[in-house]
Parts: sequence; C-alpha cells; structure tokens
Amino acid sequence: MQVDPSANAGYLTAAYIVTALILGGYALVLFRRGRRR
Amino acid sequence: MTADLVGARRWIRRGQILTALGLLGLALVYVLALRYTSVERFQGLPQKIFYVHVPAAWSALLSFSLVGITSILYLWLRDPRLDRFADSCAAVGLVFSMVMLTTGPLWARPVWNTWWTWDARLTFTLILFFLFLGYRALRGAIQDPGERARFSAVLGILGMVLVPFVHLTVYLFRTLHPQPIVLKPSAPSLPGDMLRTLLISVGVYTILLIGFVVMRYGVAARESLETSDAG
Repeated sequence: MQVDPSANAGYLTAAYIVTALILGGYALVLFRRGRRR
Repeated sequence: MTADLVGARRWIRRGQILTALGLLGLALVYVLALRYTSVERFQGLPQKIFYVHVPAAWSALLSFSLVGITSILYLWLRDPRLDRFADSCAAVGLVFSMVMLTTGPLWARPVWNTWWTWDARLTFTLILFFLFLGYRALRGAIQDPGERARFSAVLGILGMVLVPFVHLTVYLFRTLHPQPIVLKPSAPSLPGDMLRTLLISVGVYTILLIGFVVMRYGVAARESLETSDAG
C-alpha cells in the first residue's frame, strides 16, 4: 500500500533535529575543552 | 613547552579541522537527503531517517570495534597512548549510539507502529550501549592509571566481541529490523540516488568520527600532561 508522501513528516524532522543536536552538541563540548588553556 | 604538549595541541587542531569539515558535510547530507533523493513509495518521508540512522550505527559499531582492537594492543604493548585512544573511541561510540538509539524509534513509530520492540537486534544494541556506558563508569571509578587501563581493556575487548553479533542478529533471529541492504554478500539492493546519499552520509559520519576521536585524544593527552605537571 502506498502512503501519502508528506505523511509523518514530523518524525523525519525530529530525527534530523535530534541528530544535529547530539553531533553538534558533542562537537561544541570538544571545541570548548580543546580551547581551554 | 614540552614536545608532548605541542603534539597534543597538534592533535586537537587536526581534530577541530576534521570535525568542522564533518559538520559541513552533515549539512550537505541533509540537503541531499531532503531535496535530491527520491521519497520511498511505501514508507514515505520517514524512510529518509535511514540517511542519519544507518551511518550512526556504522560509526558506533566501528568505534566500539576500535576500542577492542586498541585494547588488545594495549594489553600486549602497555603503551598508555593506546589506552587513551581506546577511551576516546568509547566516548565517541556512545555519542553515535545515542543518535542510533533515538533516530531508530523515531523511524519505527510510523513504520512498525511502535517506538520499541524487544527483538534481538534492538536489545543487543541497547546492551552494547550500556556495556560501554559501564566501560566509561569503570574508568571514572579507578584512580590508578595502570589498573584503570588494564581493567577497561578487558571490558573493551568483551564489548568488541558483541559487535559482529549485533550485525548478525537479523540473520540469527526472527526480527522486525530489516536485514542489511548494503553490507551483505550480494550487491546493494537500493536505488541509485538512495545508495549515493547513503554512501556520502557514511563518508561524512566517518570523517566526523575521526575528527571527534582525534580531538578527544588530543584533549585527553593535554589533560594527562597537565595532571602530571601538577603532581
């Protein structure tokens, strides 16, 4: 059964935001630790 | 300034460059996946979670395998740099596992009609995640560096043993989780544009993995030097 292509777009948006937050957040933590003197 | 400190700073700098490149690449993957890759007929838009979920699984399992390999080398050579590298890989593997374990349920809900199911693939992945959380907790609990490195190396090797098992669970057990469509003996069963986006994403995640590990290793090396100077 085919689905409406735009259905459940919220799950996709949430997954992409969560991924960016986790990977971007960890990068930020490491950048801050790397800059510390 | 000692040569070791200069070396640690060089690792941090290299890691920063690779991480920045990886983050730019991640933005490119988002554009490619959302704008230039076709929508799968049966699952619709949630199928595009594939392009962030599968590379996260690849990166997590690769990181945990590296923990095991460097732990074996540590037990053989007793070089503290190998222990530091294994620790960095474990920390980075946990970050990618978090991406895998959050995007998975977000994909499962619209497609399987459930957030989570206790089947073999999902359960073993969760066990692997907790095992490496334990690895990090163990390191935090032991003060003596030699003892810490030895004990955590044993746990790291045990964690690596689970990795191929996680990959093979979809063949060994009845499971809702799909079987591999790229890492399998026959040719990848994926349309060209989807395969291209997936492979680019795997490449970008791998650059991020290397950037994270190198930066984390440099930071740990510098902190270890500062600690020994203070002591």
